[in-house]
Amino acid sequence: MSGTARTVSVNRVDGRLKVTGAARYAADQPVERLGYGYLVLSTVARGTIRAMDVAAAERSPGVLAVYTPFQSLALRGGGNPFSVGHSWLPLQDAEVRYHGQAIGLVVAETFEQARDAAALVRADYEVRPAAVSFTDGIPGATDPGPFMGEPARLEFLADGVDSIDEALAASEVTVTGTYQQPGKHHSAMEPHACVADWQGGQLVLYSGTQSTSLTVGTMAAALGIEAAQVRVVSPHVGGGFGNKIATWAHPLLAAAAARTLGRPVKVVLTREQTFTVSGNRSAVRQTVSLGARRDGTLVAVKHQVWSSQSASGGIFESSAHTTSRYLYKTENLHLDQKIVTLDVPPPTWMRAPGQESGSFALETALDELATELRLDPVELRLRNNATVYPGRNVPWSSKHLAECYRVGAQRFGWDRRNPVPGAVVRGEWLVGMGTATANYPGERFPASVQVRFQPDGDVSVSSATADLGTGMWTVLAVLGAQALGLPISRVRSDLGDSTLAANIGAFGSGATASTGPAVAAAAQAAITALITLAVTDERSPLHGVPAADVRYDQGQLVAPDQRIAFPDLLRAVDSPGVGATGTAAPGPEHGQHAFTSFGAHFCEVRVNRFTGEPRLSRITTVIDGGAIINAKTARSQIVGAVIFGIGQALLEGAVVEPETGRIANGNFADYLLPVNADVPAIDVHFLNHPDLLFNPLGARGIGELGTVGVAAAIGNAVHNATGRRIRELPITLDKLLA
Amino acid sequence: MRPFEYASAQSVPQALAGGGTGTAYLAGGTTLVDLMKLEVMTPQRVVDINRLPLRGVSADRDGLHIGALERMTDVAGHPLVGTGYPVIAQALLRSASPQLRNMASIGGNLLQRVRCGYFRDTSTPCNKRQPGSGCPAVDGENRGHAILGTSDSCVATHPSDLAVALVALDARVRLTGRTGTRDVRLADFYLLPGDTPEREHDLRPGELVTRITVPALPWATRSAYLKIRDRQSYEFALASAAVALDLRGGVIRDVRVAVGGVGTRPWRLPTVEDALRGKAARPEVYEAAAALAVEAARPLAHNGFKTTLVRRTIVRALTNLGGSR
Repeated sequence: MSGTARTVSVNRVDGRLKVTGAARYAADQPVERLGYGYLVLSTVARGTIRAMDVAAAERSPGVLAVYTPFQSLALRGGGNPFSVGHSWLPLQDAEVRYHGQAIGLVVAETFEQARDAAALVRADYEVRPAAVSFTDGIPGATDPGPFMGEPARLEFLADGVDSIDEALAASEVTVTGTYQQPGKHHSAMEPHACVADWQGGQLVLYSGTQSTSLTVGTMAAALGIEAAQVRVVSPHVGGGFGNKIATWAHPLLAAAAARTLGRPVKVVLTREQTFTVSGNRSAVRQTVSLGARRDGTLVAVKHQVWSSQSASGGIFESSAHTTSRYLYKTENLHLDQKIVTLDVPPPTWMRAPGQESGSFALETALDELATELRLDPVELRLRNNATVYPGRNVPWSSKHLAECYRVGAQRFGWDRRNPVPGAVVRGEWLVGMGTATANYPGERFPASVQVRFQPDGDVSVSSATADLGTGMWTVLAVLGAQALGLPISRVRSDLGDSTLAANIGAFGSGATASTGPAVAAAAQAAITALITLAVTDERSPLHGVPAADVRYDQGQLVAPDQRIAFPDLLRAVDSPGVGATGTAAPGPEHGQHAFTSFGAHFCEVRVNRFTGEPRLSRITTVIDGGAIINAKTARSQIVGAVIFGIGQALLEGAVVEPETGRIANGNFADYLLPVNADVPAIDVHFLNHPDLLFNPLGARGIGELGTVGVAAAIGNAVHNATGRRIRELPITLDKLLA
Repeated sequence: MRPFEYASAQSVPQALAGGGTGTAYLAGGTTLVDLMKLEVMTPQRVVDINRLPLRGVSADRDGLHIGALERMTDVAGHPLVGTGYPVIAQALLRSASPQLRNMASIGGNLLQRVRCGYFRDTSTPCNKRQPGSGCPAVDGENRGHAILGTSDSCVATHPSDLAVALVALDARVRLTGRTGTRDVRLADFYLLPGDTPEREHDLRPGELVTRITVPALPWATRSAYLKIRDRQSYEFALASAAVALDLRGGVIRDVRVAVGGVGTRPWRLPTVEDALRGKAARPEVYEAAAALAVEAARPLAHNGFKTTLVRRTIVRALTNLGGSR
């Protein structure tokens, strides 16, 4: 019943709902008497609002209410980057903390009426000077204090070495590079959306969220009600990537307005609003210095990071502590994280927070070292493969990075790479190959699942987790079917509702690793409940049989001289169904090993010799993520993550105007994301080695892993193609025009 | 979006009768509706002209005629266009997305508004949108902006790919108004921004673009549109080149060159053409001629790369089309 998952490759069980448009995302929920809310955003970066003129908006057709800091909706407590995304609550004061901050909400009978009225609201600001330039802020960067259980400045030195710089100076070969990338935006297909519907004293909030349970807590605290009075429903989420963990301004205001107006209120952020209201990824500058022996053995790694942070609260990109911290073996390691606090929208978690940027710097530096040493980049990485977690002296539970490199190199044809930069020309294109490592920690949280046998012959498997397009609907069905020996078609999964079995949700790439083991536990508990019912109910054919003599087998209960299918049993005893909740959580094994997923990317890039544009030809990614549950959705995860990395490498970046703090490209015409034409053939291979020290399934997370290292692999290939090392992302053609 | 009156015209005279200041004509709507949602355009009255008989692609002695309400997709796929004027078909197919090309009309394409982020954001000043309010792009985010034909009032790039191809081919637009019809060279139709960037073209109030004519040019069968951008699809040009070559025995007998993505209007390059005409089709000839393209360039803080890029784009287009023997 428990044990390693068997890998299957099946379609999404919710696929039909999605492609027919029947899947109800937050904004699709049919609720009667809806009022439509539209946010009003600040148009200056810092200051105080003296007054707001809402008269024209209030007179505008269909308007129900206009809320501002001066005609506010009361929210309680304060803000918190982990609950509402920032350290303040919307409309509770007249402060403007960044350009594009929510300063008002217009509610009207229709969306268009609300939008048109919002355009009539005028704010009079007392403007104060704003610090918005990341580059200008670097000299004033500060220490953020300890995070991830370690100090921001972390150093391990070999005996007799006094400083990292001394170790670098003593190295036979050193390379140093400074790497920069702009802030970025999550850009999920589904914009942030919510519908707040009060039913008596009970709030039902439909909201696209990665965590219904965290949202319940946040909403209850801000609205001054008990958690039991809030139900959050989020069955389908159109992409999250980290910024649907926090509960941003719009659900708080929607719920408060709905309570005041006595009717449900929907708020959908416009695409432009998502750029400032719902979080982003820090801009990052990094300097990496590597010291090595001639044979490629690393002796010193120094990784300094400056990440942008918002004065209004948020989190920051922790690039070194998530990569150089443990990725390679070295006698001397020095990490230093600093933050640059600015009057900009708050950064929040974004897919592979830390690793995404950190891997670009570290894995590019490795390539620079390989070039300097005239050593194959794969060979350099294999020589420095860490086998125990540095500084903790615990081994990895399951690490097959070397195999990723061997298998990937073979699949990709890495042996055809010409190590001489700029040597391969095909027609008008310069062609190059690059590689880089992917890493992401194995995260696991406590989780509960309910399994319930139903008289119609189906089994429901449910949990308050989330499916962000990741495939959790299908994973629950697959694991339920495996645990119960039933076809997937007989298992009905359910998720995305805070009233289901407790589950923290989907983030940290931990949803499957956390929820999966609980499916097995719940299945076992449900079988026990089924057997108990069978032997205790007088109407049951198995009444009186000792429970120990009854076993469950593929939907049937088997006693020494008879067997009965569970639907027959449930009907015989007139039961509406029987089930149980099972819980699984990480145990003491979690101090004894390090848990990390790894991968290796290989890519081929061509750069036009006239006009410089970089184009991808093909990518191979090999993943060491433990056991794979559903190869089909797992592959989609990696493909999506690689495309995410293509955006990082070649296209994406917020342009913040130094004068105004306005994001100049805060829309999908100007903030470029990859389109299909930019995406080459992506070959994904899973090693599929179960990690049974991590959890009974043997499955670690893969949602974020695939994006880590992609930008470096592409940049390294660009260098191989052209001889030009681009250390500032995105790698656009203007940087490659000689 | 502000409330507006809507009317559907059944004939050209009816459309013209309903035109004038405060009225916008609606064809595909891919620019107008977008800008109305942003409140960049706030017409009091919208006259839908989709039922007007301004359709058809045909050819006669005068050249190729395209009805103003033909859709981009249909023109791109028309055999007369694809074989006789590949530069037009390619310019259309590298524009926008299939969905937009299915809706957008040829006349509307030529009249589309600029993509400058300040023009599209009503919380910022813009001389084009609000004359006299200022141009933040001159000192602001201007990586995509123009290096040719700019003024202190406006540096926005003309966005149309099609217009670049048509200007290279000396196309004319037919403008129909209440008092009559006039044909104007497309190159003259577009105005430089100067001190009046709100005036983008020579279309008088109430006039309609009814037809486009491309003069017969037999050697336009050897023509191409090369569009350079960060993203491979669904993006406006950083630089583009529309090139046609009359090449015989390795010698350039005649040539057309116009560039896009770099000018405040589609930019024909007669000096580049003069430098190529009569010369051998060779890389050094292409390069020397292309250098003349940017003699008058006025780069801004973030678009200096375009002076190099547009030269390379011209050379690449000529190389692809003419070879480099």
